[in-house]
Amino acid sequence: MLSPDERRDLAREISRLASASVEQMLAAPPAAPGRSARRIGFTGPPGVGKSTLVGSLVERRAARGTSVAVLAIDPASPYSKGAILGDRIRMDRASDNSRVFMRSVSSRDSQDGMCNNVADILTTLEASGFDEVVLETVGVGQAEHAVKALVDTVVLLMQPETGDAIQALKAGILEVADIIVISKSDLPGSARMREHLASTVRFGAKRAVDWTTPVLGVSVDTGAGLEELEQALDAHAQWATTHRDAVAIQRSRMRYRVQDLILRQLDHTLASLDDTDYAAALPALYAATVKKLLPRP
Amino acid sequence: MSLAGKRILIAKPGLDGHDVGAKIIALALRDAGAEVIYTGLRKAPEYIARVAVEEDVDAVGLSILSGSHVDLVRETARCLREAKAGNVKLFVGGTIPQEDNPALIEAGAAGIFNSSQRIEDVIAELARVLDAG
Repeated sequence: MLSPDERRDLAREISRLASASVEQMLAAPPAAPGRSARRIGFTGPPGVGKSTLVGSLVERRAARGTSVAVLAIDPASPYSKGAILGDRIRMDRASDNSRVFMRSVSSRDSQDGMCNNVADILTTLEASGFDEVVLETVGVGQAEHAVKALVDTVVLLMQPETGDAIQALKAGILEVADIIVISKSDLPGSARMREHLASTVRFGAKRAVDWTTPVLGVSVDTGAGLEELEQALDAHAQWATTHRDAVAIQRSRMRYRVQDLILRQLDHTLASLDDTDYAAALPALYAATVKKLLPRP
Repeated sequence: MSLAGKRILIAKPGLDGHDVGAKIIALALRDAGAEVIYTGLRKAPEYIARVAVEEDVDAVGLSILSGSHVDLVRETARCLREAKAGNVKLFVGGTIPQEDNPALIEAGAAGIFNSSQRIEDVIAELARVLDAG
């Protein structure tokens, strides 16, 4: 359990990382911790009930003695760059537990709905000794793939009767999920959507050996399905110990980290080019852009 | 005036259940560029201090309509110090008679706002105090 000083220092370190520039990250990249926590990601469209579900799960797990850090990412306003980080309101009972550390961050200028340096923030939470690290983010297409690279288990939430199922098929996000949750399963249409998704998963191309993505109905209001979700999380963790390759995980996280920095640097570079640069022929513009990508100290 | 890069916690301590004012302020702060965390209704000062630490905020704004603003400000300031966050600036807004201002400042408030003030003035004052460190 963290002391008040440790809690404050961890919070400050997260702030530092969330606003560190590409140059700062390259000058002093945080080292990999000697330990790892179990990482669970929750994603899905806005309003689907991610924060409420995370709050309820974390409360249950903390009550059993598990220490959990939650990183919740909310979108920034494209106009003011400000943000209302509202995930906490739905997690207040869980975040009152001393085994829980909860932090909200803004997606700021990130391209994929994550916050800047998210991989390093997760590593820092891991290094602080939590048993589990939970990442919650708004699903905006690219976010699902980023979550996949960063966590051990991806839980995708969808809401009944919203056409989400078809959207999910179109975007290919079903393939990213290790567990699918139909949230607010007390609402009408939930059972039908669950059947529909379950058969889609069953007849779809198999992605993982020995793992069939479960499709669960969960209602935080009534408590229905929470137990099943926890069992599915445990089953997936069990599966991962025998079927996931530590080297491959390390590679995909490192790849995300470097890609995150390059994309950010690219964004700055493209914004810094002037009309003359853009008047050049495509190959020349491309070459000039790549040349300017190297961060200057 | 810009609050770009500032993190501000808007909190409702005590028992009053009206948060329209808190939400209006939260939106105005966001539009001024701040990252705003809102606690929801009826939170204890200990909880507010804890959230202020975890969210590493620059300021806490308490919205109080219940009349117990002096006690709640004093208690929140104490909890912030206990949580090693005594450097976080504490503001208070709501239905606050002007004669309570000295007591509020003595209790730890770095700024006091009421509903007759214009939002732009509130933002400007927050920016001034926060930039003064």
